[in-house]
Amino acid sequence: MAIYALRKLAFFLGAVFVASLAIFILIRAAGGNVAAIVLGKDATAEAINALAHAYGLDQPLPVQYFNWITNMLQGDLGQSFRTKESVADLVTARLSVSVPLALSGLLLGLIIAIPVGTYAARNVGKPSGAVLALISQIGIAVPVFWAGILLSVLFGVKLGWLPTGGWVDWRESPIGAIRSLVLPVLSLGLIMAAVLIRYVRSAVLDVMNQDYVRTARAVGMTRTQALLSVGLRNAALPIVTIVGLQIAELIGGTVIIEMVFSLPGLSRMILANVAAREVIVVQSTVMLIIIFVIFVNFVVDLLYGVLDPRVRNAA
Amino acid sequence: MNTTTTAPTVAPRRRRRLELNASLVVGVALTIGFLVIAIVSFFWLPSNPNIPNIKNRMLPPGTVDHWLGTDGLGRDIIAQLMVGARTSILVGAGGATISLILGTIAGLVAAAYGKIADETISRGADIMLSIPGMVTALVLAATMGSGALTTIFALTAFFTPSFTRVIRSAAMSVLQEDFITSAKLYGRGKLFILARHVIPNIAGVMIVQFTLYFAAGILTEAGLSYLGVGVTRPSISWGMMLNEAQQTVGISSPLAMWPGLAIVIVVLGLNLLGDGLRDVLDPKLKRRS
Repeated sequence: MAIYALRKLAFFLGAVFVASLAIFILIRAAGGNVAAIVLGKDATAEAINALAHAYGLDQPLPVQYFNWITNMLQGDLGQSFRTKESVADLVTARLSVSVPLALSGLLLGLIIAIPVGTYAARNVGKPSGAVLALISQIGIAVPVFWAGILLSVLFGVKLGWLPTGGWVDWRESPIGAIRSLVLPVLSLGLIMAAVLIRYVRSAVLDVMNQDYVRTARAVGMTRTQALLSVGLRNAALPIVTIVGLQIAELIGGTVIIEMVFSLPGLSRMILANVAAREVIVVQSTVMLIIIFVIFVNFVVDLLYGVLDPRVRNAA
Repeated sequence: MNTTTTAPTVAPRRRRRLELNASLVVGVALTIGFLVIAIVSFFWLPSNPNIPNIKNRMLPPGTVDHWLGTDGLGRDIIAQLMVGARTSILVGAGGATISLILGTIAGLVAAAYGKIADETISRGADIMLSIPGMVTALVLAATMGSGALTTIFALTAFFTPSFTRVIRSAAMSVLQEDFITSAKLYGRGKLFILARHVIPNIAGVMIVQFTLYFAAGILTEAGLSYLGVGVTRPSISWGMMLNEAQQTVGISSPLAMWPGLAIVIVVLGLNLLGDGLRDVLDPKLKRRS
């Protein structure tokens, strides 16, 4: 197990390094004279040079990369050129929107997908199973932002139960904050569920044909008993993996849903800063998100090794 | 455009499978309809989808000459949907094709050229897969400017690692077959074996994956264009139409329905086609799908 964990840790660190390099190159190589763009057309050459110098933008790119990384390792994510706010503050202010949205969306997706997917697998070949497979197939084809639009037309415009967009801060009114999150979470969760149902269904179908389920049936358990006692635990492994892989997908969905419902989350902040050419804010924020995703996958890999001896020994 | 939709299979069994395969039938029908509409749009459009006509703004569906109505600037909805189909094909199929080519090369190298090549390529693909595509696309749009080319580039960055993984594992299982050993004993070189034996045997997998990523590409393009970082006018995208509908006339208008329906139908069609083809071309996977 220790060797397995070390290998995974090495991969985690390597992945973070490669990703940081890729992000830096993508944002900076094509960036042009950042200071000039930030200050606008009327800026004097002195002002541009002063800004560039203050932020180390006049140094060679490898030096800038090195400084960026070492500062990040010390917890300094840099600051905005214009507002001087630190990236850490900018990000944490947005997390109270983005994190509940993404987590509840994923949770809702799982709460729907696990029972429905299991049911679909149990009824494979029957009309009810086929109908569920079709519904999930249609759900996968629905863009998450269109699901958001439809839900907000139905519950916001037609029924008037919930706001169609906007945000009430948690400190101002927790109920208001929850109300503004209901439709976004529902959109995200339903679309996640459509995707996850297929994986759950195929994972359960797989274990249903395994020897240990047959053995359990042979010692007198019913199909359902066998599935609950030995089947689900084994089906949990591939489902855990899929959740790890879906994290990147989940963040993509959250980005779009925040736009549909005008929520002041991370993605709106990134978009605004992309437009304003705040390269340091953008590269640090994007890097934080990527580290988070790689970290989740690292944890998933570790869990997988803990749960299944075959995995850690094969590695 | 890649138009390959059939591949050789064993004749007697094929007929029965095709009859039973509802996914394939519906998928083929929807996909052909989609392709035909895009092709027709080059020769005929109800009216110019980019020229505003304030006199005709916000016509309701069912109006003569504008059967699905017009948008807030009086542009015909059907014409916009038709041109949008072109964009979906250009970007979706473009991204899927380039990723398929790059992913096949990388996957074959990983499968056939030793442990170091395999480790490097596989770990590289793992890293790229853990980077959220939507976030990268935002950054790309910021540095390269938005447009169809940037969008295709972004799709290629998301899809190539997945293709690489699939092709690698398909190629590895072919490489373990006996006929590969005999080809080696016969003195055939690696490139010859890959081109002559491996690629034809993984062609089914490649076609299925292409179809599914074509669909995923259309969804992603729509999302990016909805965010305003995808294609821009005079090109038209269904995602862009949804964005404009939400910005100008509000979401409860029928304008926010049509492009969404178009996306769902086309993506559903391609996914069904992919699933149906998988059953025909890749019998080993039939049970799981």
